[in-house]
Amino acid sequence: MPCPYLDYRESADGKSFDVARPYCGAAERFVQPMRADVCNDRFELDHETDCEIYLDQADEGQS
Amino acid sequence: MSYERFLADEPVVVTAALTGGIHGKEANPNLPETPEEIGKAAGDVEAAGASVVHVHARTDNGERAFSTERFQAIDEAIRRHADDVIIQPSTGATGAPTEKRHLSLQTDPPPEMASLDMGPLNRYERLTSENTVATIDALYDEMADRGIKPELELFNDGHRNEMYGLLDRRNLADPVYATLIFGPGTLTRPRPRNVLTAIAGLPDGALFNTLGFGRHQLPFATMGILFGGNVRVGLEDNVYYESGELAESNAQLVDRVVRIARELGREVATPAQARAMLGL
Repeated sequence: MPCPYLDYRESADGKSFDVARPYCGAAERFVQPMRADVCNDRFELDHETDCEIYLDQADEGQS
Repeated sequence: MSYERFLADEPVVVTAALTGGIHGKEANPNLPETPEEIGKAAGDVEAAGASVVHVHARTDNGERAFSTERFQAIDEAIRRHADDVIIQPSTGATGAPTEKRHLSLQTDPPPEMASLDMGPLNRYERLTSENTVATIDALYDEMADRGIKPELELFNDGHRNEMYGLLDRRNLADPVYATLIFGPGTLTRPRPRNVLTAIAGLPDGALFNTLGFGRHQLPFATMGILFGGNVRVGLEDNVYYESGELAESNAQLVDRVVRIARELGREVATPAQARAMLGL
């Protein structure tokens, strides 16, 4: 299941694109393409173990 | 040894890394992602003096793509926009299954060259590009079967050992072509003395390419030119033209390094000259 902070947007943060791109609601910025594979849990990647942004957010949620 | 190539006025092979597999238009809106954009960029860098284009594939929204069909579309777009440039797809794919890394080698016709990462490197805080010995051998074997020249990417000094291991296990055609990579993290620390150490550690007769990430692109390209090597520039490795100013295009970065090469007395290689030098 994709990261709950992942969204696809055509514009945000002063940037706009023709096609909606991956956007991280935790970092509040568009996601690099390589990181987007983690956000989407593609291949053997898992945002719960492989993404420091998600993990930092999870830690903050617990504290 | 390598400086003799500078003294001999040997032309510089300029590789333009157009797109990459890490960042995209979110970092620089001028970075080409679609096959048509990549094809047009290839034509522009060829006109500026590049003889090789290093390519990665993307989906229409900029995410990573690995299919042969997407690389085929890129090849065809490059052939529409460029005259004779050498196409060098990546076989790198951090976090993706090994089998996907072979797909860029399976276009029709096969590419003349392809990159071959020589060992592991870290990405972000929790990813590693594994590049096991078995993966390197398997990718090399498919390149050999298809007549593809490997561009050996040495991200750090340990990868030099891995290169010699490959040379022991396989019979690579001369000249060995190695890219010496400098930058942060797992990469060789970007200091001038490390360029000389890396060059000195290459096999006899090897040709090399220098690649500096980010702000190191220009100084390490310049050192590559001075030390008798070849250079790689482009938006894959550096999205800025100068501090705080995004590059307008890959061609802008190529144009600058070509200008520097000529000021230093070296002409840039045409694609035909590059093929002869690299044994393609």
